Amino acid sequence: MYPTISLGPLSLPTAGIVYLLGAWLCLSVIERAAKKLDAPVEATYGAAVTALAAGAVGARLTFVFQYWPAFQENLLSIVWPLNNGFNVAGGLVIGGIAAFFYGRYKQLHWPQTLDALIPGIVLGLMVVSLADFLAGPGYGVLTRTPFGVSQFGIRRHAVQIYEIIVGGAALLVWWKMVGRRQYPGQLFLITSVVYAAGRLFTDYFRDNPWVTAGGYHIVQIISLGIVLAGIFLLGYFQETGKQELAEE
Amino acid sequence: MLKSRFEWTILLVMATLLGTAWIVFSQEDMRRVSAPKSLTEAPIVGHLAPDFTLETPVGESINLQEVLAANGAAGQPVVLNFWASWCGPCRVEMPNFQRASMRYNGRVAFLGINQGEDAPTITNFGNQFNLTYPLLVDQDSAVNRLYNVRGLPTTVFVDGDGVVREVVVGIISQAVLEDRIQGMLTE
Repeated sequence: MYPTISLGPLSLPTAGIVYLLGAWLCLSVIERAAKKLDAPVEATYGAAVTALAAGAVGARLTFVFQYWPAFQENLLSIVWPLNNGFNVAGGLVIGGIAAFFYGRYKQLHWPQTLDALIPGIVLGLMVVSLADFLAGPGYGVLTRTPFGVSQFGIRRHAVQIYEIIVGGAALLVWWKMVGRRQYPGQLFLITSVVYAAGRLFTDYFRDNPWVTAGGYHIVQIISLGIVLAGIFLLGYFQETGKQELAEE
Repeated sequence: MLKSRFEWTILLVMATLLGTAWIVFSQEDMRRVSAPKSLTEAPIVGHLAPDFTLETPVGESINLQEVLAANGAAGQPVVLNFWASWCGPCRVEMPNFQRASMRYNGRVAFLGINQGEDAPTITNFGNQFNLTYPLLVDQDSAVNRLYNVRGLPTTVFVDGDGVVREVVVGIISQAVLEDRIQGMLTE
């Protein structure tokens, strides 16, 4: 594991660098996807940037409010250091809300926009897995299989690599389906179902999962919810979506 | 692509059954989750913190396992802070550790592990910042190497079971310190 990358006298946090490169890559992919789908490129890109920026600021501010007495003594600490101290849930909520209002302001057609955003979202999740593998806890359950990775003399499932492969498969499905899309929103639903199904499967191999009081994997429960909701909506829109498209 | 509603319904039912079965199959044994894991010692999250014994500048010997066991079976969380007197960011964060060590006295242990400096330098530094928690001499940097410290400051959070919970490279703010300590205490 490489929590830092050494460049001469500098010691840079690996996860931070991976996230920065990942953010740039995700935005580039969203821009290309929007072009490919004939979606409004500028507005779609704007929605993604808004979500990212508001999410990052929101994650920090949520953490600041959570620990206001500690920040009150030194207001400069709100903006420095920024190497840690973010509330992910707060960031997701605020980023989502900001993107929603940006979309309303720009009168975005959401199903079309989501079709363009989903490759960026999946890529973002792959980046999180990569950062986790390189610099974070990044380990799976013990294994004797040849594709395990050796950590301090013990062979383990490279669960984050499995997650990246799942993301790659979901992106491949998106790519193959672009030309065969039957109605706006279909790409988003199919890609989400494929990715969530993959995460439902791979989380079994994680050795440090988030679990409920009963020991069930939280990621698996969320993934199953996405899979079922996705299949239901795909079935529902199979006819209504096509009809709407025909009417347009 | 599936065509009829019936086919979609069949797929939905199958996904529900298979998904639920897989979740049940993946269920963790709670005793295994809550118990200390039989892991190797490694300076990475989820592994047992490598054990060490170092001395304070006045010659008092301190062993990590003994510090962890100070609160009996429940175990005492430990915050390891790797620092050096020439490290500017270390100087910035030192008051945060001092405040936290006073606040969590008896519940969380703080150990400041120096990198490569002699005992008088460490003593002077401690006096300058009025530090009351143990500062440890690691003049040959053996423990720094053991913990794979590549940049200063580095802070390692070890829970009561002796498992590394987080490694933070760079300055740690008072809020983040409180957040991580409270996380270890509430588990």
